[in-house]
Amino acid sequence: MSAAIGDTVIRNPVVTRRPALAPVLAIAVLLFLLSVLTGVVSGAIHISPRQILAILAGRHATGATDYRTILLYIRLPRVATAGIIGASLALAGVLFQGLFRNPMAEPYVLGSSGGAAFGAALGMILFPGSTLLGFGAAAMFAFFGAVLTISVVYMVARVGGRVPTVALLLSGFAISMMLSEASTVIVYLGNELSVNARNLALWLHGSVAFSEWSQLVWPGIMLLVGGLLSFPLRRILNVFALGEDYAKQLGINVELSRALLVAVGSLLTACAVLLGGIIGFVGLLVPHVVRLIVGPEHGRLLGLSAICGASYLILADAFARTVVAPTELPVGVVTAFLGGPVLIYLLRRSKREYVL
Amino acid sequence: MNQLLSVRELSFSYAKKMVLGALSFDVCEGDTVAIVGANGAGKTTLLKTLCGLLEPTRGSVLLRDRALKHHKARELARCIALVPQEIQVSFDFTVLEFVEQGRTPYVSSFLGAFQPEDHAAIARAMEMADVLHMADRKFSELSGGERQRVKIALALAQEPQVLLLDEPAQQLDIGRQAEIFTVLHRLNQSGMTIIAAMHDLHSVYTHFSSALVLRPDFSFTYGPPATVLTAESLQEIFGRHIPAAWLNGIASAANPDLQETELK
Repeated sequence: MSAAIGDTVIRNPVVTRRPALAPVLAIAVLLFLLSVLTGVVSGAIHISPRQILAILAGRHATGATDYRTILLYIRLPRVATAGIIGASLALAGVLFQGLFRNPMAEPYVLGSSGGAAFGAALGMILFPGSTLLGFGAAAMFAFFGAVLTISVVYMVARVGGRVPTVALLLSGFAISMMLSEASTVIVYLGNELSVNARNLALWLHGSVAFSEWSQLVWPGIMLLVGGLLSFPLRRILNVFALGEDYAKQLGINVELSRALLVAVGSLLTACAVLLGGIIGFVGLLVPHVVRLIVGPEHGRLLGLSAICGASYLILADAFARTVVAPTELPVGVVTAFLGGPVLIYLLRRSKREYVL
Repeated sequence: MNQLLSVRELSFSYAKKMVLGALSFDVCEGDTVAIVGANGAGKTTLLKTLCGLLEPTRGSVLLRDRALKHHKARELARCIALVPQEIQVSFDFTVLEFVEQGRTPYVSSFLGAFQPEDHAAIARAMEMADVLHMADRKFSELSGGERQRVKIALALAQEPQVLLLDEPAQQLDIGRQAEIFTVLHRLNQSGMTIIAAMHDLHSVYTHFSSALVLRPDFSFTYGPPATVLTAESLQEIFGRHIPAAWLNGIASAANPDLQETELK
């Protein structure tokens, strides 16, 4: 609609009303609870919601002890694991997309996937079958591989006290490629190196299997710390979106902020790697979807992404272990196949160009 | 009048390429200063050193008799605001979300939340820059003139004493230019000191109390536009091959004083 007044044409401006936070948050929490329920109910043995309530209330019928065991020691820890991984990856995705101002940025952008893959392969060769804090050698090595790689990438990109983002992005890419190809070589030579190549390949595609409650202590702490640290970084992320000169001009210590963002993002990524290996697409997709719905302000983006990331991975995992039961699909396969169409749909549905 | 900014023997070089050489001038509260010079004369670089984004290679910039580097970054951001020429905004912020960033130096970056006075300052800034009615529009969908005013609003949300602008009227039609200068004039009336890099000499004569002229040989002159921007000095700045008559026309058209002196 346009109206001409004299010779001045006033176009009807496109007004953006951001949805109010409260209802969106309520819907997100509801979806989260539903996905938890789905995650608990689904599996080879069906447990009905009524039975779940009975078990949780301690009023389960005798003979239902198996159900109780399955619920409390198999299903719930698994759902919790998926939730922690999903939330960590989504938060890390928001942080790295905000830091790099790049739509393709994701949790593994600083080479942690390559480092984790190589570490996992190394762990399987050197200490097959041994565990630490409830984690297999592969997971532990992957964790430290990821952390070490990010540190190396950060130092490599450092020039004269500054760490330019482009250098950071490209060195992350280069080092990640080298390490992930190195782990491919290990998969090839699997038999000679006495590595179960299939196990490694599965691990590299991510899985949330084999979780016990005790395993969740450290990742839980990491997610908590990472989440609590990332929320205050929202303002810095908002200002970074205007460019580094603006950030500096507004009194922000750009180098320190960048180091903090990298540190918190890496902590969250490493947490996800420790629990589930390399699960692609969650950290890339969830922030985009949430941004398309509530806009780019990083406060709401972080909070909602964490909830949606958790829900998304819980659902994906439930799907992964039921669709080809009694075996499982790697959850990374499911996240990609479920998430791809959702992102494409949202992009096509939004009436104007999505700007990142 | 109170001296606000003083530039002392300021030089700036990128690697080995000298951009600014031994500049010295003072800016008082309420002044409006236009920085004039050919492309590449260092206007943008000078603005960046004036707000502490770049550190001078030699010499210093003093804000109220204290070197910029001795001010805390956040303190500085509350005194001096820069409106850059072109910016690349990565995310699709609305105008309000964009202007809100101007409060960054007032809110603790880690745990702080906006207080009522922050919201009030944002509303005042948007009112002053005449962008209140477009609060919910997307920054990426604004026209050039609107964008310029929104950037000014962000700077005003910093509640600065000095407003630095890099080519604020560049690429705007005269109607949009007039809107910008109306805003700047109103700000100056309320006491704001304004320093702007300018290309359009007409605007320099009509809207600024003094001009800083940067010459290709790193010399400079500083004074009222009518005295420092004469036909001769314009030839020195922009090149000898420009016909003197043309420059005379520019200088005199916007400068009645000059016209009178020449008629006499």
